[in-house]
Amino acid sequence: MKNNKLAGNIVETQGLTKTFGEYIAVQSLNMQVPRGTIFGFVGPSGCGKTTTVRLLTGIYKPTSGSLSVLGKNPVDFSKLDRGKIGYLIQQFVLYPDLTVWENLNFTASFYGVGIFRGKHLNKLLDFVELSGDKNKLARDLSGGMKRRLSLAATLVHNPELLFLDEPTAGIDPILRRKFWDYFKELQAEGHTLFITTQYVSEAAFCDLVGVMYGGRLLMIETPDGLRRKAYGGDVIGIRTNEEIRSEHRQQLEGLPFVRGKVKIISDQEVEVTVDAASTAVAMLLEWSQAQKLTVEMMEQKSPPFDDVFVRIIEKEIAND
Amino acid sequence: MIRFFSFLIRISSFLGKELTEIFRQPKLILTLVLGPFLIMFLFGLASPSQGRTLRTTFVVTDPNSFKEQIDSFATSFSAVLVDYVIESDKEKALAALAHDRTDMVIVVPDVPLETIQNNQQAEFLIYHNEIDPFQIGYIHSVAQVYIEEINRQFLQSVVEQEQEDSAPLQTNMETAIVKMQTLRGAIPAGDVNTAKQAADLEKDLTNLNEKLTTFRTLGADILVRPFSAKISGLSDVQLTVIGFFAPAVIVLLLQHFSITFASLSIVRETRSGIMELFKVAPITAFETLVGKYISYLFFEIILAGIVTALAVWLLKIPILGPLQDYALAVVVLLFTSLGLGFLISLISETDTQAVQYSMLLLLASIFFSGFFLDLRLMKEPITFLAWSLPATYGIRMLQNIMLRGSSVPQLVFLGIASIGIVLFLIDWLLLRKKMESQYS
Repeated sequence: MKNNKLAGNIVETQGLTKTFGEYIAVQSLNMQVPRGTIFGFVGPSGCGKTTTVRLLTGIYKPTSGSLSVLGKNPVDFSKLDRGKIGYLIQQFVLYPDLTVWENLNFTASFYGVGIFRGKHLNKLLDFVELSGDKNKLARDLSGGMKRRLSLAATLVHNPELLFLDEPTAGIDPILRRKFWDYFKELQAEGHTLFITTQYVSEAAFCDLVGVMYGGRLLMIETPDGLRRKAYGGDVIGIRTNEEIRSEHRQQLEGLPFVRGKVKIISDQEVEVTVDAASTAVAMLLEWSQAQKLTVEMMEQKSPPFDDVFVRIIEKEIAND
Repeated sequence: MIRFFSFLIRISSFLGKELTEIFRQPKLILTLVLGPFLIMFLFGLASPSQGRTLRTTFVVTDPNSFKEQIDSFATSFSAVLVDYVIESDKEKALAALAHDRTDMVIVVPDVPLETIQNNQQAEFLIYHNEIDPFQIGYIHSVAQVYIEEINRQFLQSVVEQEQEDSAPLQTNMETAIVKMQTLRGAIPAGDVNTAKQAADLEKDLTNLNEKLTTFRTLGADILVRPFSAKISGLSDVQLTVIGFFAPAVIVLLLQHFSITFASLSIVRETRSGIMELFKVAPITAFETLVGKYISYLFFEIILAGIVTALAVWLLKIPILGPLQDYALAVVVLLFTSLGLGFLISLISETDTQAVQYSMLLLLASIFFSGFFLDLRLMKEPITFLAWSLPATYGIRMLQNIMLRGSSVPQLVFLGIASIGIVLFLIDWLLLRKKMESQYS
């Protein structure tokens, strides 16, 4: 899988729509996922994330629009193409009465992995840290171990493109972090990962993030770009030794590179949204000196993704 | 009081939940209520209103000499003896019996009158090809009634004949008496003519004496029952009731095992959600189904081996036919039963529903496969239902091989194999629909 980073998009959709009767699950989805990236698909429950994954994996037929996965419409997928896809389902679907090893072996068989696969499977179990539990029945595993077993089963045939549907749902923050470490490792090996999550903060681990809401893809951005989109630019925090008065704030809002209103944090601290932090910091320092304000701190802020997401959704609702 | 209400509320939680779950499965309720009722109703329709009829072949050396008697006899027994034919070749008749083209072969004695006159019962040889003790008993009863009727008819004809024969004899006796009187008067004269009359009288008396001698020397039992019947089956094995039912029980067990295991297989996977993974994976419905068939066949064959060994060693049930035929019959039975089980699994929505369908099939198999009621006694439309069950074919095959010592009956084998293949194809199509993406 290493050195498999070819140029181009591994997934492309154009006006992709899926309806169930009157209900529109996914509406006019336009999206490109570059090969070799971690693409996060973020949104609240029921926003159409799983439906999109099912459309991309060929489980659902689109109502309208076009799509290309691995350069093909899923309608034209051969067995070989299907072997290039790994799919982790939200819930645990493996066999509770089989052991960890037997489940993994079963999955390897139906993906057609060669019979001399013991070493490969052991390596996978090492990767998900289940080597010591290989003889345990799946029904005796904890929730987190079941997710790790599912992940190992998804990787058993070394797929090029991984669709992971809420892989971190319902597991503790430490294990969630570990999962993202696994994903980064997989990316480093050349896999492309399409990951849905309702944990907005996980967007930070992605190369690109698609934000879904009400069946619509609101935007695709890098994590930083997402923040900029949410706040209208980069956010810079300024703390001074003197009080920042209302005339100062009005002046700040009047600067050409400052967007929107100044956010008051305290008498001596505000947050301003600027076009680009890289150029704005120097200009803000100049402005402070001119106003006889002693700058104690000036830095680019990274608002939590929860706030970013809420802002984006609020904007969307306001636009509607 | 509050505690009591809390107690009631806690009970109501399960009351509501259980009832809601049950009523969410209308198909299950329908099968639970209507299934057994329907089976009983159909069984009522299938049950015979009169005894079994027997297709009969009469074997006589010279068909023309006995045709009239056989026709008359068969007509008087038309409620039991049907489609009767008269055959001169015994071997040909027995071959027809072995191939189920006739139910009973009656070999008429060659020279019955001479045999009886030699103070021996004229024996009718009656052949059947039954292994069911109840059916053998039925044939014995029919044969008994048959022979009683022949004896009655024979006695009647003998009495009529004797009455007819005794008329000239009586005239002769009267003449002899007259002659005796004349002779008594003519004795003193001593003429030649009178001497001739005396000679005639002596002849008549001698004749009468001979008839009386024959009559007196005949045994009373021969006189009362001049004909007897010897009944033989084509198979020499004497079966107990357990022995007869053992192959059917083996078939029902194997069918039920296969259907139960297979019926839970796919429905569980559908419920667990792994089917979604199959849709994305490069595995096809055909590969999945073949894999499942092979694994269950492997397991069921081991099970069949154990059940057969127990039947042979513990119950002393013979396998008179070739073992390879027995194995072939078991494999085709398992294959077809698995097909039926997978079909149940594919159309069921829950485990409970699948188990319920399997139980209904077992019930239907007990009633309609010939296990409970002989297929030949069932009414025609219901036999279609009987022949749609693998157990019906299985019982026929195993009884033939185990108890009759025959090989696999070809038509029955072709029948069950065809059903098995059709079921495989249906299962394949249904699984494809379930497993493969909506694009397919």
